[in-house]
Amino acid sequence: MRRFSWFNATSLTLGFTFLYLPMILLVIYSFNASKLVTVWAGFSTRWYGELFADQEFLDAAWVTIRVAVFSSTIATVLGTMAATVMVRAGRFAGRTLFSGMIYAPLVMPEVITGLSLLLLFIGIGLDRGIFTIVLAHTTFSMCYVSVVVSSRLATFDRALEEAALDLGCSHFQAFRLVTLPIIAPAVISGWLLAFTLSLDDLVIASFTTGPSATTLPIKIFSAVRLGVSPQINALSTLMIAIVTVGVITASLISKRAAVAQARDEQAAARATA
Amino acid sequence: MSQTVFAPWENPEEEPLIRFRNVTKRFGDFTAIDDLTLDIYTREFFALLGPSGCGKTTMMRMLAGFEAPSDGTILLSGQDIAPIPPNRRAVNMMFQSYALFPHLSVWENIAFGLKRESQDREAIAARVEEMLRLTRLTKFAKRKPHQISGGQRQRVALARSLAKAPKLLLLDEPLGALDKKLREQTQFELMDIQEKTGTTFVIVTHDQEEAMTVASRVAVMDEGKLIQVATPDVIYEAPSSVYVADFIGDVNIVEGRGTREGERIRLDWAEGQPPIWGTPRGALSTDRAVYFAIRPEKVSISKEKPADRRNMLEGEVVDIAYLGNISTYHVQLANGQMMKAQTANTRRLANRDITWEDRVWLSFTETAGILLEH
Repeated sequence: MRRFSWFNATSLTLGFTFLYLPMILLVIYSFNASKLVTVWAGFSTRWYGELFADQEFLDAAWVTIRVAVFSSTIATVLGTMAATVMVRAGRFAGRTLFSGMIYAPLVMPEVITGLSLLLLFIGIGLDRGIFTIVLAHTTFSMCYVSVVVSSRLATFDRALEEAALDLGCSHFQAFRLVTLPIIAPAVISGWLLAFTLSLDDLVIASFTTGPSATTLPIKIFSAVRLGVSPQINALSTLMIAIVTVGVITASLISKRAAVAQARDEQAAARATA
Repeated sequence: MSQTVFAPWENPEEEPLIRFRNVTKRFGDFTAIDDLTLDIYTREFFALLGPSGCGKTTMMRMLAGFEAPSDGTILLSGQDIAPIPPNRRAVNMMFQSYALFPHLSVWENIAFGLKRESQDREAIAARVEEMLRLTRLTKFAKRKPHQISGGQRQRVALARSLAKAPKLLLLDEPLGALDKKLREQTQFELMDIQEKTGTTFVIVTHDQEEAMTVASRVAVMDEGKLIQVATPDVIYEAPSSVYVADFIGDVNIVEGRGTREGERIRLDWAEGQPPIWGTPRGALSTDRAVYFAIRPEKVSISKEKPADRRNMLEGEVVDIAYLGNISTYHVQLANGQMMKAQTANTRRLANRDITWEDRVWLSFTETAGILLEH
């Protein structure tokens, strides 16, 4: 057994406190009976009830979910295509420039991305609303998908695609029947990443939204400017819960698959010996 | 009754299945295949043998359609295959990594190519069952590739590439991932399957024993060129050059000056040493440096001077490699030249009379070795 070390214990406590104390406080106060956020007056689920009765919040939630689903789906399709081309195309003049340009939005300040998109939408006379937010979110989350998918494709055995071609597939069939099923976990986690990014984006959404479409982060931000209400705490707690469940599910699925594969491979090795 | 020998390459009326005509393949500045001409016949088991980087894999990939020749043409059944994409060629390939689809079962892997031809379900199922029986995989049909052993995966890859009954099957180092015992056993299985299906096989390998075992003809390659194309016994017994002799099996090479005397060549190879008598391969230009090549197993070793051998050389045992069934003696001749002699260990080790630092006589007949120009 490893010896207990005060240094390790302290580091761990400090680190996790730093990361999770704010969220724990938020979760606790969401069950506060008092209307005052900083005064504890006993346990209650009252604010959750009020939250679900508030049509404005429900509308905002519905907008956010639609934006996240559409933008992450489009971003996944485009990002996967970009990754496939970048990994597959081999060497060509300007390859480094192209791959750099795909990843540049990762480090671009959101304010600048938002502003430039706003200028574009005004310039081409597009009415701002859900559609423009979807476009904007697709733009920046696409490169995250591309990063995730291309790292999976880099270790993908090219011979598998060649085997599919050799057995009579067209290039598109080879991608659909062989490549896509194999890289599916990366594509799904790319989608989840894009979905989460879209869910919590405030800056770009507030640049590109119009009066008809208010997303949850925008709603929360504007509500908080009028003072933090326990309703917001309840809403935030729900969002934390959704994200946590999503992340744990995704990691469990991939871990189970890896464990099952390792077990099967060991069994096969024993059968040979 | 004598059996008809399979040798279509000796029949001038036989139409080759594959013809490489002055094929060159360049990758940038690098020439992988250099003006290569070769015919391969129906039902042949043809081996491309050479060190890595000699262009053998490039030739295979050109046949499969993954690479196009820079110059020259490749004909399959008389038809130029350059414009035909890989998915429309009557050629299938077994990949070195097997390239089994990990998300599909053994059954689905084998059915994969058949489904692309949109055959009806029953015909596909019947063909897959036939392939499973041929490769003894019926029990494993429902397993995924990672749930079976390496040898079984190899057989799945073979079954999958044979399922569409291609005119030509390409095998890229098919046994490279198997251990030695399994590899030897699988070589015979491959030959058996090749005979049963009547498919033309082209195998790429760097393992000379494998090529010798399975192939009807072997092409030895180096730096994008064919060095020699012949049956395994000709390659071994009558190599065309020192390169081939050295690449296939073990060989002693002695350099000297050759003089023709009747049907034989006299090789003067060292001051004060008796000449070596050998047989030339075809016309040999005399009075220039030539190479005498002899296989170690054709050299006899004895402590007493043998009576009636044309070639006798005296030397000292420097090293003995004991391999169980055979022993190889490394003998140093008077001028420092090393020569290997191999004997079968028909007697027990304790009864062996030759040991380190013994003076011994090496002897061989005048037809045992061969004289080469380069």
